[in-house]
Amino acid sequence: MPAASSSPSQLAGKALTIGLVGLAVTAAGLLVPHNARAVALSYLVGITYWTAIAIGMLMLILIHHIFDASWSTVIRRQFEHGISAFKWLGLLFLPLVLASFLYQRDLIWPWLDLGHEMHGGHTVGHDPLYLKKSAFLNPGMFIGMTAGFFLIWMGLAARLRKASFTQDADGDVAWTFRNRVTAAAGLPLGALSLTFAAIYWVKSLEYHWFSTMYGVWFFANCVRGALSIGVIIMVWLWHRGDYKGILNNNHFHSIGMLMLAFTVFWAYVTFSQYFLIWNANVPEETFWYNLREINHDGGPNQWKWIGIIGILFGHFFIPFFFLLSYRYKITKHIIRRIAIWILAVILLDMCYNIMPALKDSHGNAQPLLSLNLVWILSSVVGVGGVCVWSYLRSFPTAKLIPIRDPRIGESLTHHE
Amino acid sequence: MPTSASTYGLIATFETAPALYHAAEAVRDAGYRNWDCITPFPVHGLDKAMGLRRSIVPRISLAGGITGFITGMSMIWWTGAVDYQLVVGGKPLFSPMFAFPVSYELTILFTAFATIIGMFVVNGLPMHYHPVLKYDHIRRGMDDTFFIVIEARDPRFNLANTRALLEKVGGKAIAELEA
Repeated sequence: MPAASSSPSQLAGKALTIGLVGLAVTAAGLLVPHNARAVALSYLVGITYWTAIAIGMLMLILIHHIFDASWSTVIRRQFEHGISAFKWLGLLFLPLVLASFLYQRDLIWPWLDLGHEMHGGHTVGHDPLYLKKSAFLNPGMFIGMTAGFFLIWMGLAARLRKASFTQDADGDVAWTFRNRVTAAAGLPLGALSLTFAAIYWVKSLEYHWFSTMYGVWFFANCVRGALSIGVIIMVWLWHRGDYKGILNNNHFHSIGMLMLAFTVFWAYVTFSQYFLIWNANVPEETFWYNLREINHDGGPNQWKWIGIIGILFGHFFIPFFFLLSYRYKITKHIIRRIAIWILAVILLDMCYNIMPALKDSHGNAQPLLSLNLVWILSSVVGVGGVCVWSYLRSFPTAKLIPIRDPRIGESLTHHE
Repeated sequence: MPTSASTYGLIATFETAPALYHAAEAVRDAGYRNWDCITPFPVHGLDKAMGLRRSIVPRISLAGGITGFITGMSMIWWTGAVDYQLVVGGKPLFSPMFAFPVSYELTILFTAFATIIGMFVVNGLPMHYHPVLKYDHIRRGMDDTFFIVIEARDPRFNLANTRALLEKVGGKAIAELEA
């Protein structure tokens, strides 16, 4: 039986404390002079990272329902607890919006300020490349769309949670059918909202740049993050005793196969984006990667090595080769280590996409290994603590597994 | 113990899947290697009861994949950078970037070949004849009956002892199979 100190409600209190400390450290970064933009972008990394994981959980639940999947039924409940975090993520996103409109318009997204002076002297308001996109990139659209994203995610999460939790009590199969309808409507809504969120929050940091793969890249990270957190929760609940007799090797094998599939998918998408830009070699697109490879004097910067070692090898080759093995997928401490690794490199990928927007006076990307790393880590811990608290707070409010789901029997006896 | 050259092995009949499952465990524990179960449908967990290890086909697939990747990369390097040097689109004569899509497709193609061929080889396919086909009741193995066949080439095979083992684990209608 679990020790009292590891009960979810006590852990929830700890998670919230850690989260608030993280947020406080991030806020303290504002006391450093001329540091507001670095802190704001670091905080954007933290928010985007955890929102991506929550979106991944939401999409996995929707995919589960649309395919009437069976094996994942015992794991789905943990994702249903996880997506309770959307309302808090929405709340935590608010400071970025408020800072942009009340403190400094171009603090994060330069196009929110038409008077923002660009490299070369002219302003965003006179930039033809902005004017062409101004129907899309303007304050009203930004606020409306961002509010819309969170409303969609919160609404879908509330519907899925209510149906699943109520079914535990009344056993009515109608809830399963209702969830299938939610999934049919929610998948396109989810796909569009996560794509536009990636465009508004991350890609528009360099609004001259464009890549049709961006939403797909973001989706791949969302699902990889959610699967990895799922594995960590599975192993945690197994060691705590909850999942003993419920999970068997095949559940770990199945989620491991999905991790492998999405590792390949992520690599396919990320490579395609790089390759098409490399091959076409047009300055409108290549500047985004140049910023992440070289300084203005032509010498390599830190991001080049992060791209090669962290993104190419860390994000793809290492997880890929480890996940090929059946034994690693079903050995709990190994698959958990792979999951933690993937979560770390997704964070690195988010940094790679967001942080080079922070430039020095020569227009070079500021290095990752600097004081900024403190605000990035404190933001990730801060937002993460709140998300974990939200999960643990939801955890005792429902049964461990959806005991009256029509597919639960099949899921409990899941075999190859 | 060698037996007459014309004996393929012994076959025993079982009426239910659990009976077969437990008999398989006993045969496994007796240390037999060259033997098999014949069932009308897949019996979950039987591979474990028989002591079978996981298939080696995934390793063959991996070898095929690596071969495909190397083939793609070296083919493009050889044609573009060695045999017929031609600058295309201002790109270097060889770069893993543009060689990647082709190498990747060849990885998949060779993996598929290796998997299919590996599966056939490991299963001993194509197999047009098998000694159990001479056994009169073998067709019931496609309907409602289960069999265990222990081959004479197994080092532990001994006509009397093996028959006794099959009897002990509940095998009915034990018969010798002609090679």
